[in-house]
Amino acid sequence: MTTKKIKFTLGAFLIVGSIGYLISTSISQTSMYFVTVAELTDQGLSRYTSELKVKGNVVKGSIIRDPNDYLEVDFAIADKESKGNNLKVHFKGVTPDMFQDDGEVVVEGVIKNGVFHANTLLTSCPSKYEAEKQAGKSHPGSVTPYELKKPDLKDLGTGPKATI
Amino acid sequence: MNDIGEFALLLALATAIYGLVSYVMAVKGNRVDLYFSADKTPVIVFGCVFVSSAVLLRAFMINDFSLQYVWAYSNIELETFYKISSFWGGQKGSLLFWTLLLTAYTTIAYYQNKKKRLEVFPYAMCVCLSITIFFLLLLNFSTNPFERLPLPPEDGRGLNPLLQNYWMVIHPPTLYLGYVGFTIPFAFAMAALITKNLDDSWIRLTRKWTLVSWFFLCMGNLFGAQWAYVELGWGGYWAWDPVENAAFMPLLVATAYLHSVMIQERKDMMKVWNMSLILLTFVMTIFGTFITRSGLIQSVHTFDEATLGYYFLGFLFFVILCSAVMIIKRLSLLKSKNELDSFLSRESSFLFNNLLLLGIAFATFWGTIFPIISEAVRGVKITVGPPFYNQVNVPIGLALLALIGIGPLIAWRKASWGNLKKNFKLPVIAGLIGGAILFPIVPLNSKAELFTYATFILCIFVMVCILSEFYKGAMARMQLNKEPFVKALGILIWKNKRRYGGYLVHIGVVCIFAGIAGSQAYSVHTEKLLKIGETLEIRDYTLRHKDLKAIQQTDIKTRIIALLEVEKDGKVIYVSKPEKEIYKGQNQPVSEVALHSTWKEDLYVILADYREDMSITIKVYVNPMVSWLWKGGLIIAIGTLIAMWPDRLERRRRLERMKKQELAFSPAQE
Repeated sequence: MTTKKIKFTLGAFLIVGSIGYLISTSISQTSMYFVTVAELTDQGLSRYTSELKVKGNVVKGSIIRDPNDYLEVDFAIADKESKGNNLKVHFKGVTPDMFQDDGEVVVEGVIKNGVFHANTLLTSCPSKYEAEKQAGKSHPGSVTPYELKKPDLKDLGTGPKATI
Repeated sequence: MNDIGEFALLLALATAIYGLVSYVMAVKGNRVDLYFSADKTPVIVFGCVFVSSAVLLRAFMINDFSLQYVWAYSNIELETFYKISSFWGGQKGSLLFWTLLLTAYTTIAYYQNKKKRLEVFPYAMCVCLSITIFFLLLLNFSTNPFERLPLPPEDGRGLNPLLQNYWMVIHPPTLYLGYVGFTIPFAFAMAALITKNLDDSWIRLTRKWTLVSWFFLCMGNLFGAQWAYVELGWGGYWAWDPVENAAFMPLLVATAYLHSVMIQERKDMMKVWNMSLILLTFVMTIFGTFITRSGLIQSVHTFDEATLGYYFLGFLFFVILCSAVMIIKRLSLLKSKNELDSFLSRESSFLFNNLLLLGIAFATFWGTIFPIISEAVRGVKITVGPPFYNQVNVPIGLALLALIGIGPLIAWRKASWGNLKKNFKLPVIAGLIGGAILFPIVPLNSKAELFTYATFILCIFVMVCILSEFYKGAMARMQLNKEPFVKALGILIWKNKRRYGGYLVHIGVVCIFAGIAGSQAYSVHTEKLLKIGETLEIRDYTLRHKDLKAIQQTDIKTRIIALLEVEKDGKVIYVSKPEKEIYKGQNQPVSEVALHSTWKEDLYVILADYREDMSITIKVYVNPMVSWLWKGGLIIAIGTLIAMWPDRLERRRRLERMKKQELAFSPAQE
């Protein structure tokens, strides 16, 4: 090996090394445990003190919004299969469009006094592939019509909004 | 009719297998008759897939709900525009669409090359056909889009309203055009390896294809970001979700390839590296598909088709194995005679640019698969989110940004201090002055804001670097040919399409960097419940709740619109109209964001809730500089088109370069 080659190898190693260092330190600083509701309740809620991420399905009928403040939401999540163990979740903020009964959600936050205080609430995306999965379950055409929780608003009929 | 579609798929598979076998036998046994028999099979396969796709599209158009796929993604009221997009809206259709593009690309490559490069051409076709066979097997036996429902329902389930958006119609095809396009460079690279034709002919061919695919992938990513921004209503455009990463990684590797290939053209170096990069790009596209289709990695996009994921995993390992074996077998032929001369040279700036691009790609890859690894190694699932990607990729990205400025100005082979001083004096001074001007204006309280400040300084430095290249070139022409400046600039770009097109792309990238930095660090948001007449204040805007309306738009769609007057500096500048749309048959309303975009900042309003007493809850973001991303994207598009434009001069230049190369190294510039 020539000295030139050694120099370049060293230079490359320096870059690769610092990227590697950056990755490893960042992982330990920013990583979060990702658990299911069952794992969490089985091991005891007090076991996790740091921020963590939990995946579950919203328990039917559990969504309660503060009547005075739409942004305060309480709900419970459970694993899709075993509906036994519930985890109470509190969230403050605008919920995504897909946030609804039985919908799959991923929450990030900390546990305080047995309640999961979520600072992030993610719903499963407007999945393109999701309908496929449900197709087997629901009978074709049996989609329940959505009842508008439409307030009694005057229909003033403005023109179509310009697309953004 | 649907039987024809189904049959065409089977026929395509049979033809592809026949074509592959007879190509291989023709080449192995040197049989001309078999070769002629195999010839044209790529075109026939394309024909069959085309027929099949046409049949599926027809089923969407005539509302044939006897097909499960049509039932699941369309309904009678759906607009024709979105019926077309339903074609690739689901798993099965998107695979058919992929196959359609793959066979179309193969056919183009077939007509491009069938009279030339006869030594590698059949092998490349074999690789393309093999990949096509994989997809056709899936389509025929695992995810058949022509699956019937025993009792055809009267109406379909309809397309998810969130997907009924302009950007969502063009985003997937664009992304697919990019994804699938990398198959052709892969095929020709493999063919070159198999046949030991490792001169730079495969480079020339694959560079064009890579550039085209890169273009589509880049645009696809930006369209996706645009869609997420205007449609999902979370105020952001990129979340480092595995699905996004899947599209981002091939883009990075392809970018590295497009750069390092220039060293091979000039210096006949880094052959193994380039070969590995182009193979890796293809591997990344399959890996991305695996991620998105397996459900193995938790993503906000649910793709719960586990079985399909494992087919892709198998295919992925097969491709990696073939690539690795071929490279190792041809290692001795890929050795280059030349070596790098100096740290301070164009060559080494390319090398470092490659390492940084791959560094970002690797960090992204590692973050994406980390949950799987941690579960396998430690038994617990550990995830990393946007903070990880930002913490790692921002510093690497900044180093890369600096190289965008340095690379094109530094001399080939070995730069002298004189050369450095001459070229970088102005940009460095400009960067420092810019930094000094910005210092009192921008906030510098957090780490993110410091990084943003550094990004802005670097952006100015890089911009001046690039513009000085344009200026120098145009001035030289002006003096030489006595042309006016604008004309000289135009001719300069047109006569050196590849070079200046590339610089334009760099300008676009700088805009995107600036946009990301500004919008990430200075974005603010707030949420509030407003009764009629009440106001919300954010930055220097005041929003006043004026009215709430309900409009029955169509039989299936009701729109709830809030009207908010936006005041700035005491004047009403416009009326913001965030809305919620309620679709019949869908369980959740869809938020429509009201966006007011200027070059400085976006005012982004979401209607979260509304009540009978006409009070509303809104969430408001002020996102600075987001429009720079889209403008940067436009500049990238223009630059890439210029760089891709066929160029006769470029060919002559290449021939000259090759002649020179044979004699000696090209001397250092300046």
